[in-house]
Amino acid sequence: MEFKEVVGRRRSIRYFLPWKPVPRAKIQIILEAARLASRAGNADFARAIVVERDKLAKADLQTLTLPVNAGMIEMAPVHIYWWGDLAAFRRDMPSRARQQVDMGVLNISHGWTHKFINEVAYPQVVQAFSSDPVLNAKVTGCESGLAISQALLATVDEGLGTMLCTYPEESARRVFGVPDSWTALWVQFVGYPAEGWEAGGQRPRPPLGELYHEGRYGTPFRGSEAVVAQLQAEKMLQDPAPLPWRREEVRAVSRMLGLPEE
Amino acid sequence: MSANINEHQTVQTWIAGVHEQSGVSPENDAKRLQVLAEFCALVEKDPDQMIDECLRDVEGGKKIRVKGRRFYAEKIAEFEQQAEGGPGEKRQKANYIRSFLIHNGVLLQTSPLS
Repeated sequence: MEFKEVVGRRRSIRYFLPWKPVPRAKIQIILEAARLASRAGNADFARAIVVERDKLAKADLQTLTLPVNAGMIEMAPVHIYWWGDLAAFRRDMPSRARQQVDMGVLNISHGWTHKFINEVAYPQVVQAFSSDPVLNAKVTGCESGLAISQALLATVDEGLGTMLCTYPEESARRVFGVPDSWTALWVQFVGYPAEGWEAGGQRPRPPLGELYHEGRYGTPFRGSEAVVAQLQAEKMLQDPAPLPWRREEVRAVSRMLGLPEE
Repeated sequence: MSANINEHQTVQTWIAGVHEQSGVSPENDAKRLQVLAEFCALVEKDPDQMIDECLRDVEGGKKIRVKGRRFYAEKIAEFEQQAEGGPGEKRQKANYIRSFLIHNGVLLQTSPLS
């Protein structure tokens, strides 16, 4: 699938075929896509625990269930529990940054040297950031989110359905035994969709100019109709929700899965 | 109770929600109401009482009573087991009750049929 179509097709899938397993190779592809995402200081912010639903003890599955995730957690054959490592920036940045100097990634042209990293960047920037819980959480969350986003797109590219949902952190810590520095982010449910891939249509978004500004806040970014037409042709912009058959589809899929239809 | 069950505010909310959100015609309303009446008899509560036990008023809106929701989720599972008919029919009856709670603002999710 071309990139723009992958972006266009990505949406939250809430109905999965519970009986159809996901090939391990596809899960690896999803994780590899996450692993290659951009990340500050090349630090290991995003971490994951991959779980096959049927290998979870019933008591563990129950403890990970919340009212808002309860349907999907039982339908999706694979769960990827995403975490952010709050210790990543302070732990990884110095050595990874020096490595990048040695690889010609961070260069003199931009002011980078080992000396700068050791004596200025690390103590003045990294330590300051990572000592401030709000800043550290912001960086960790943002950088982990980049990885999660690539994971979502890779999932769609593999012909699978996926969505992000919340999970109870303390229960997950007990079940998965993660390090103390990991903070819970989202669980990514993965499986073959029981609903059509359109899932009722592309979700609404505010117009471009309402979200993004040009030059200064208050001057809307002006898009062009020609670009809109191009993105429609390349399937990044798709038919909006609700598609005409959505109610019938929801009832039929709900009935198939034994869920309330109405 | 079945004679006046649809006089309860929560039942009217439910039926209106079913018609508006799900676009379903009133044809099956009588069956829905009958199943709800049977469930009310099982738990010995009227529909408004059930919702009261699942939701409480807080500043700015409502909050779910976790114990109440858990109680009714378990009672619905019990109701489904005891109901007459095949697995699909039993599940449909249980889902009518879930629908009643959901349309009254009680978030409740259902395990898929295995």
